[in-house]
This record gives sequence, structure tokens and C-alpha cells, in this order.
Amino acid sequence: MSRGGAPPNNSILKTLQNTEMIDTKPLLPAEILVTILDYLPVADQMRFARTSKRMREMVYDDTRWVARLRSMGCWDEAEARRRFEEAMKRRRDMAAASAGRGAAAAGGGQRAQVSEVKDGFETLAVGGLSPKQARAPAAQDPSKDPEALLGVIKTAQSVRGHARQEFGRIYGALAPFYFDLANAKTHTDPIVFKVFRDPERQAQMLANLLVFAKSDWAQGWQQREGKLGGMVSIFESAVLREFEQGYEFWDVDGRMKKYATVLSTLNGGAAGVELFVQKHPIFTDKEVLANSMDCINQASSVDTVTLEPSRRFFETLTLKVNEQADIIGRIFPDPGPVFWALLDKIREDIVMEYATPLFDESHERSIPAYLKSISGLFEQTMQFFRSLRPPKGSGAQQEEKAKEFALKVFEPHLDLYLQDELDHFTRQAEREVGEWEKKLSAQDASAESFYMANFANRQADKTDFLTSFKKVVMMPVSVLPTSLSLPIGSPFASSKPASSANGNTLHAASPQPSRPHSPSLTSANPTERSASPMPGKAPTDELAAKAALMTSRLEGIKSLFSIEVALSLVHSAKASLGRVAVFISLGGQAGGEAREQCETIFVTLLRILGGRHVKPGFDKAVAHLSQYNPREVSQHDKGGVAPLVTFIELVNVGDLISQMIDVFYEQQLAGPKIVDRNDFLDPAGLAKKKFEQMLDESVAAGLNKGIDVLMDEVEYLCATTQPPTDYNPSAAAPDTLTVEKSAGGGPPTPSLPPANFDIGPTPTAQRIRDLVASHTSMLVGSTDKSMLDVFNGEVGLRLFTAVCKHLKRQRISTEGAIKLIADMNLYFEYIRTLKNQDLLAYFKALRELSQIYLIDAKHHAKEMATIIADSDRFGGIFRAEEVYEYAERRADWYQVKREVERAMYGLECLLM
Amino acid sequence: MSDTKATQVTLQSNDLTTIKVDRAVAERSMLIKNLIEDLGDEAVATEAIPIPNVNDPVLRKVVEWCEKHRGDSIQSAEEESETRKKMTEIDEWDQKFMQVDQEMLFEIILAANYLDIKALLDVGCKTVANMIKGKSPEEIRKTFNITNDFTPEEEEQIRRENEWAEDR
Repeated sequence: MSRGGAPPNNSILKTLQNTEMIDTKPLLPAEILVTILDYLPVADQMRFARTSKRMREMVYDDTRWVARLRSMGCWDEAEARRRFEEAMKRRRDMAAASAGRGAAAAGGGQRAQVSEVKDGFETLAVGGLSPKQARAPAAQDPSKDPEALLGVIKTAQSVRGHARQEFGRIYGALAPFYFDLANAKTHTDPIVFKVFRDPERQAQMLANLLVFAKSDWAQGWQQREGKLGGMVSIFESAVLREFEQGYEFWDVDGRMKKYATVLSTLNGGAAGVELFVQKHPIFTDKEVLANSMDCINQASSVDTVTLEPSRRFFETLTLKVNEQADIIGRIFPDPGPVFWALLDKIREDIVMEYATPLFDESHERSIPAYLKSISGLFEQTMQFFRSLRPPKGSGAQQEEKAKEFALKVFEPHLDLYLQDELDHFTRQAEREVGEWEKKLSAQDASAESFYMANFANRQADKTDFLTSFKKVVMMPVSVLPTSLSLPIGSPFASSKPASSANGNTLHAASPQPSRPHSPSLTSANPTERSASPMPGKAPTDELAAKAALMTSRLEGIKSLFSIEVALSLVHSAKASLGRVAVFISLGGQAGGEAREQCETIFVTLLRILGGRHVKPGFDKAVAHLSQYNPREVSQHDKGGVAPLVTFIELVNVGDLISQMIDVFYEQQLAGPKIVDRNDFLDPAGLAKKKFEQMLDESVAAGLNKGIDVLMDEVEYLCATTQPPTDYNPSAAAPDTLTVEKSAGGGPPTPSLPPANFDIGPTPTAQRIRDLVASHTSMLVGSTDKSMLDVFNGEVGLRLFTAVCKHLKRQRISTEGAIKLIADMNLYFEYIRTLKNQDLLAYFKALRELSQIYLIDAKHHAKEMATIIADSDRFGGIFRAEEVYEYAERRADWYQVKREVERAMYGLECLLM
Repeated sequence: MSDTKATQVTLQSNDLTTIKVDRAVAERSMLIKNLIEDLGDEAVATEAIPIPNVNDPVLRKVVEWCEKHRGDSIQSAEEESETRKKMTEIDEWDQKFMQVDQEMLFEIILAANYLDIKALLDVGCKTVANMIKGKSPEEIRKTFNITNDFTPEEEEQIRRENEWAEDR
């Protein structure tokens, strides 16, 4: 009866046209029957199976029923595979026994393997489930065994080859209720509500039916499912009403618990949870709903908030919420999500309602208060979320939830806050520096007016002062001696114009603002400083006033930048950082932003501290150092060059600040893992390096100037304090007024009388040594070692040059040589402390050199000549011509010159 | 018709009558669509496409359905999920369309199957499913011309096996 099958391909049209079909009564092919079967209700399918063996095969096909089971979510492929493998194993054991029966189910349409396995199952009843058992509940009246019905879906098994039976078990249990419900007219009709009286079971059954409805895809399923849905929602709202009533009476362990369980069985209980959260009494609890304005109103000043009220608020809230957590645990079968849902609502309705007005208000009132309130409240919020005791089973996610909620609370404020924090810090830091600068210039002005007050005719304005200053410095020699009691005809006069011109131009280039004064940041400093630059009796002379002013300026180096300012900057940076850092714990994007902001604050700190405070300070200091001129300073007995001392102090302060920054970086940024110390691209790390570099450069530049100044001072001392009689006692008039040598050494000390043959070094040498030693030792530890070495080396070298120069100006007698040697020994000993071998060689040579003065040239001219020519003796430091030059400084040179020269040149000839 | 793309095609049923239809309508059938692609526009424009498995009344009926549903989107085979999409109701027009005798209904289904018109096939199957709903096995056999190869005992055995599915 089948049709003559011309293959339905694209053969030539003609062939197709010529094909003749013999048509008979139509018969549908198997694949179409299968499609039709899919659309049939289960009952009809089973009737279909009874029509013929082939149809039975088609209907019984396992995949058909697996699909139904899967649609209800009770087919577990893994379980089925496991069972299948177990069965295969058993089957191999029993292969012989079952071999004969395989033919029974033989038929087309199924894969051989599946049918084989099926056979095994049928005879062996694997999985403890025989078709009889599966049918058992269905065979009974459902009303007689309702318990089995309730668990029918839960106990479904996945066994290959048994999908139909398994589905049959479920279908048998649920279909009667399902179709009955679908046909019911009112919500009281369905037998579901008659068979099961208590709401728990009704809910369970309805839940089962909802699942079962998914396996119904025969015609009309939409109406049936809609009906079921309607019934379920009627039931749900009835239960919800009960729950609500229980809620109103706060019948926690009774109705609430009962109906919460019912709702949860029915469809997870979302409606109940929502009702619970929505109507929760905590949202109207007067005790909880505090006024956040207390934090502002109770604060002691405008710029602050007190977090005590908010602490109390959170304390109360914590108590209440923990109480609720217990109650939730008692009511709901799955309390975790309920608790978090409630908490989320609390967060939104209570915490945010509390926090937002506080932030807004404080933001309007004052930024510091705002910053404080945000950060403080954040910490309290985190604390609050962390200190909650969620019901059992949901504690693991607490930290995560805490972060999530805290983020939600603060998200709207975070960006603004972070920006404000940075702005606030920048503003504060700049104001601090600015104020300090202002204070400086104010003091400067007052000091000036104090000095200038004595020049009634000349104090018209500052420009006038500047010009006068210029004038005075331009022609120092004539004015200086009288006013500052400098010796006339000082040998250094020639060097003067250069240095003064230098100071002059510098001064012109940087007028008023570069006039630092004591900023009176410590109580001790101002008094000390005011004592020195403003002596009791104001200098009357114009230049003296200038000099005093200059001293005052150089004195002011100490306060060119102040450790106090740096300290307070670091302090406020720390406060800001501390506030921002709490947000890092949020993690994610917000945490990242907070972290970046922390770095930016640090970078800003360095920028302001370095760029606005330290660097200008150093620059000024260096400028002042270069203006220093020893001859303008009246007092040289202070044991040091004042500006250099202050500069070195500045270096110390700078170093201290640098160390402070380093400690700050380590503790505030690297310690809590805000920045990675090893990340060389990190902006904070880069800024820090830059700052340190800037400091080093400034120190280096300053030290460079410092050496000049120091040497100026050394030369000045040499020139002014060394009487000629020191090295040439015999030349002095015996009746010169003599003063006993005092260790402290006042200004120019008259030399010792020749009679008093003292072999100790001269006071001048003592003072020079003390001067240099005190300055170099001051630097120890304040700057980095290699720089210190370079500095010392340079100082030593320059000292050497200065001494040589000085030597060439002296006249030295044989008696004086002893003094000289003592001096040279003194220098040598000092240089030895610097532990610089190269440098030591110079001073060794100098020591050797000083011995040529000791030789009695009259009798030992030849030896002297030998010494002069013996360059090895001086370690290559002095050449013979140089030594010769020194020899010329002998007091008796003109008496011995001939002898020596003869000896020398004779010797030379001999050598040649 | 000088355009390379023909707008109309002629279909020829197995009793040699021809029907002229819009190409878009004819292409509801995947078979014809593929055929046109393979033969080329020119051949289709000049000659009729033979549909040897389908007679004139059935072809007219199928064309009628295709005209009605020309705008429908053709769903691909993949869209049908492996968990059997639920049966959608037959729309009113289709219900009326399918009110024909059983022989005609089967012919339409076979034609739809042959011509590969998925939607029409579905409608047909649904109609058949509705038709045999609630019928006894004997009635079903008659409907589909199935020979009973069961002994009465065997048939009873199957009935008992599937007692759970019986309407109560």
C-alpha cells in the first residue's frame, strides 16, 4: 500500500513529469504518526499503543518519556548513566540467563543497545523499582495514601528504559488532581483541597502540580496551566492573609512560622518574604529612627561633627536587627535570603535616610565636618554590617554583603567625597604654607621698619632701601672699617667687590618676597632670634642697619622652611588619608578609586611640601648664603659662620622632613598595602623619589655655596686674626702690648711675647680648625654619606688652598716655624679625622713643607736646597718651584737666598 | 519576465493541471524553493514545476494555505528545542481550513510532508491529534488503517500496564 517513491530530488523536469503516480487510500508514514503522537494527551497515547505492536513500540519509546521527565526537572542524566553502567555490569554477569528473552521486545525504531538494556532492566528490576511498585500508588485511591502523593516528584528516579514507568508513577499521582483542578469551577471545588486539609500539604501538592503542568503540552495546556496558576495565587493570597494576621499579632512561632513554611513550600515564599520586609515594624520604630542632625548640632564647633549620636544609632540598630535575625530564623525555613532582604531594606530606608541628610547638611555647613562625617559614618556602617549575627547558614557571605551594602549606602556620596577630601587637603596645605609665608613677610616688614626707623630721611620706601643697600655694598672699603671695625687695608679687599656685586644682583633679582624672617612657630625661636637681629640698641649707621638686616636674613634661614609646617601638613595628610583609606576595604571599583585618591593625596602633600615650602626655602637659603660676606658681619666669635650654620641646620631639617615623609609613606601607604613598594610606576613612589631628589639637589647646591662661604670665612679669619708676630716673633717690638692668650680667643688677639715660648698652635689656626670642624661635623648624619664625603673632600682641598695662600702672605722666622709646624700638625690631625687618604696627602705635604722654615739656612743651605728640590718629600703635591716660593717667605730669606740658590742650582747642575 | 528573477512560477499537479502562483508563495515549500535554486530562474520561468505526488485539489488547497501564510516567518529546525515545544493552539483560519474529510486531511499532511512545509504539517498533525482524542483503540485503528496484530490478552496487558494514564 505504500506509495511508489520517486525520490524527491531535483532530477530533470521531464523525468518528473513523466512519472506516473498510482494513488490509493492515504496512509500516514511513521514519522508523521510520531509527530501526531506528540500532540496527543497521555491517555490517548496509551490507547494508541494498544492498536498494534508497531504503535506500542512508538509510544513506549523511552526518549518520549525522558523528555517529559526532563521538562519537570526530574531527569538526571548523570544518575541515569550511572545506573546504566551498573546495569550493564550486572547484565554481563547474567547474560546467559536473559539471553532467551530478548526477542520479546524486538522491533524497529529503537537503537539496538537501548532495547537490549531495556530487556535487562525489565527482567532484573534494577534500581529497586519494578513496574509494579511504580504503579502502586496510582492503583490506590489517592485519598488513601496522600503522603506518597506529596513526595512523588521528589522521589522520581532516572533509569534508562524506565522513563515511561517513572512518568506513569508521577502521572498517576498528580494527573487526577491536575485535570480535576483544571476543570474546577470555583476555588472550593478541586479535590486537592478536599483530600488535603492542612495548608502545608495543600501547598506541597500545588507546588507539585505546578511542576507537573510543565510536562503537559497537549492541546489546551495553556488554559489548564492558567487555571492552575489562578488557583495557586488564590491559595497564596489566602495563606498570605493568614500570615499577615499572624504578623499583626506578632505570632512568631505560631501562625507566622506555619504560613511562612506553607508559602515557602508553595513557591519559595517570595511573597511572604516581601510582605514581611515591607511591613516590618522596624521601619516605624521610634527608637531606631534617630535624627542625624544631632551629629551636627551637638558638635562643639562648626568644623566638626560628633559621631556619638550616630554611634548610638547604629548600636540600637544592631541590637534590633540581631533581634530580628533570631525571629527570622524562627519564622522562615530558609532565613538567609529573608534576612538579607530585610537588611537591604533597612539599609535603604533607615541607614540611608539617616546618613544622607547628615551628609548634605554637613556638606553645606563645612567641608571638614562633611569629610569627618562621611568617613566616620562609613566606618560605623561597616562596623554595623559586620557586627550583625545573620541567621544560620548565611554567615559565610556576611563580609561580602557588608561590603555590598556599605557600598550602596555610600555610592552616591563617594565621588564627591573623594574629590572634596583632596580639595580640602590641598586647600588646607596651601593655606598653611601661605600663612607661614605671610607671617614671614609680615615679620620681615616689621624688622625692616625697626631698623629703618633710625633713618628718618631715608626710609621712604623699600625701593629706596634697596638702592641704598646696593650703594653701600658697592663701595664697602671706605665705609666698612668705621662702622664694622674691620681692619683697613684688609688683604681680601680685592675679593670684596665680586662677592658684593654677586649679592647685589641676586638681591635685585629677588626683591621683597625673598626676605625671610623668623616665623615664630616655636616659642623658643622667636625670642632667640629677636635677640640676635634686633640688639637692644639699634644700629645707627645705615650700613650697620643693613648688616643687621642681613644677619637677620641669614639667621632666618633656620625658618626658611619650618619643620612645624611640614609636620602639620603631614598631619593633615594623614588625617585625610586615614579617612579615605577606610573606603579601600570596599574593594572593587570604589575601593580602587579610594586607593587612587590616597595616592593623589600623598602626591599632593609632596608637591606642596616640596614645591611650595622646602624648595623655595632652600633656594632662598642658597641665595642668602651667596650674599654672605664675612666682612659685613661684626661678630666672628660665635664659633661658626652664621648663615652656614643655619643652612646646615636647614639641611638637617630637610633631612628630617624627608625621613618624616619616608616614615609616613611606609606606615600610611606601603604598610596597609595601599601602594606597592615594588611598583616603580606607582605615582606615590615616583613623587616620593622626586621629592627626595629635589631635596638632595637643593642640599648639594647649598653645600656648594656653603663651601664658598666657609672658605671666605677661613680666609677672613686668616687675614684678620693672625698677627705677623705669630710666625715671626723676633720682628715684633719687644714693648708691644701683650695680652695673655685666652683659649676662647676674642677678635684679633695680639700675639704672645716672644719670650713666652709656647709651642702650641696659634689661636688663629685653632679657630680655623674649630670653624671647619664644627661645620663638617654638623652635617654628619644629616645628608647622605657620599655627598658628605664629597663635601668634606672639597672643604679639605679648599682649606689646603686657603692655608697655602695664607702661608705665602706670612713671614716666618726660624723661631716662628715651631708655631707653624704646630699649626700644620693641628690641621693634619683634623684632616685625619675625615678619613680621606687623598686629602691627607696634601696636609702631610704641608706639614713637611713647614719644616723648611726650621732649618738654619746659614749653616745648612745645601740641605735646604735638597729639601726644596726633593719632590718625593711632598708626595708630589708641591713642585720644586712652589717649595721655593714658600722658602721665600722665610724671615731671613734675603740673608740666605744666595746660599740656598747656589746650593740649589749647584745641586741641580750636579744632578744634571 | 525579462528580469533574471522570476516573480511567478507554475506548478503542475500529477493530473497535469497547472497553477500559477507567486514565487514567494511557492517558496513556502522548502522543496520548491530548493528546486528553483537548482534549476535556475530561466527554466522555472518557462516551464511548469511538476509536483508528481500531489493531485490538483490537494495542491490547490496547499497553495491556498500558502497564500494565506505567505508573510509568516519560516522557523528553522533548530528553533524547535529538543524538549518538544509546547503545542500552540491552531488559529481560527487554519481550523476552518482543516475542516475537510479525513482523506483530504491526510492528503494535505502528506503533501505538506512531501513539499516540506513545516507549519502546514504541524497544523495537520495537530488536527489529527484532536480528531483521535478520546477515541478507543479500535476507532484509532480504523482511522489510520492499522492492522491489529495483538491477541486480546496482549492488548489487555498493555492496558493494565498503563492503567495510570486512564481518565477517571
